[in-house]
Amino acid sequence: MISLKKLFTPVKSINSEEAKKFMAGKPEGAYTLLDVRQPGEYEAEHIPGAKLIPLPGLKESLSQLDKQKPVIVY
Amino acid sequence: MGGRSLAAAQLLSGLDFNEIYNLQGGIKGWQGSKAAGPQELNLELVRGDETPAEMIALAYGMEMGLGVFYRQMIERTEDQDLQALFEKLADIENHHKKRLFDLLAEIDPLGKDVETYESDIRPTILEGGFELDDFMKKNEPFLHTVPDVLDLAMMLETQALDLYLRFAEKSTNAQTMDVLFTVADEEKAHLQSLGSLLEEKI
Repeated sequence: MISLKKLFTPVKSINSEEAKKFMAGKPEGAYTLLDVRQPGEYEAEHIPGAKLIPLPGLKESLSQLDKQKPVIVY
Repeated sequence: MGGRSLAAAQLLSGLDFNEIYNLQGGIKGWQGSKAAGPQELNLELVRGDETPAEMIALAYGMEMGLGVFYRQMIERTEDQDLQALFEKLADIENHHKKRLFDLLAEIDPLGKDVETYESDIRPTILEGGFELDDFMKKNEPFLHTVPDVLDLAMMLETQALDLYLRFAEKSTNAQTMDVLFTVADEEKAHLQSLGSLLEEKI
């Protein structure tokens, strides 16, 4: 039942302004900014301090993320 | 855009992550400063096991390098507005240095005075990790107006912010990470004030 419920958990979307406000209101290190694009895309441009974990390898790299911290994904 | 981030956000929210947000529009939707370069850029400057004092010395050298750069630029321009701006930018670097020195004093209250401390540090690397001389050669031709200089300063601050946070990511010392987060918060506030200044000037 739990997994079924979670499958349908809607994900909250925030726009740029909301994200900026969120980040400005928290000290560095209190949240994770996650970049799930490919390394070449990250290299061209990324949000400062973003952590790069490309989507294809995300499931295998979960140990790199802190579940207790809020995560903003792009 | 943003399809992959939605997929990632859904994956994470199904895995006991407490608070997940998907950025609308992905990077294209982001209306803010952006850094460039691969994830490893300049990470060879750190080993990962630096003590807070070692990391402060490295950051101090970086801030000092940029301060030297701005001071040199004051000499190289005749424009008084630009001179005033470079002066202001150099002062901000001094402020960052003071903050770093204060952080050091908290860790090591019986340390050296600031002059002695600074005399042992070499300002070779620019904020963001650029080589100073090389950078001056390439960028000087583009620094003729106040918005140009503010744009450059914001680029440098953004690269520095990103680098400090990547240092934190590589660090294995919790106290060193805290130092880097503190410095990053300062850079962020500084970046915001430069942004407001740029809005006034264009």
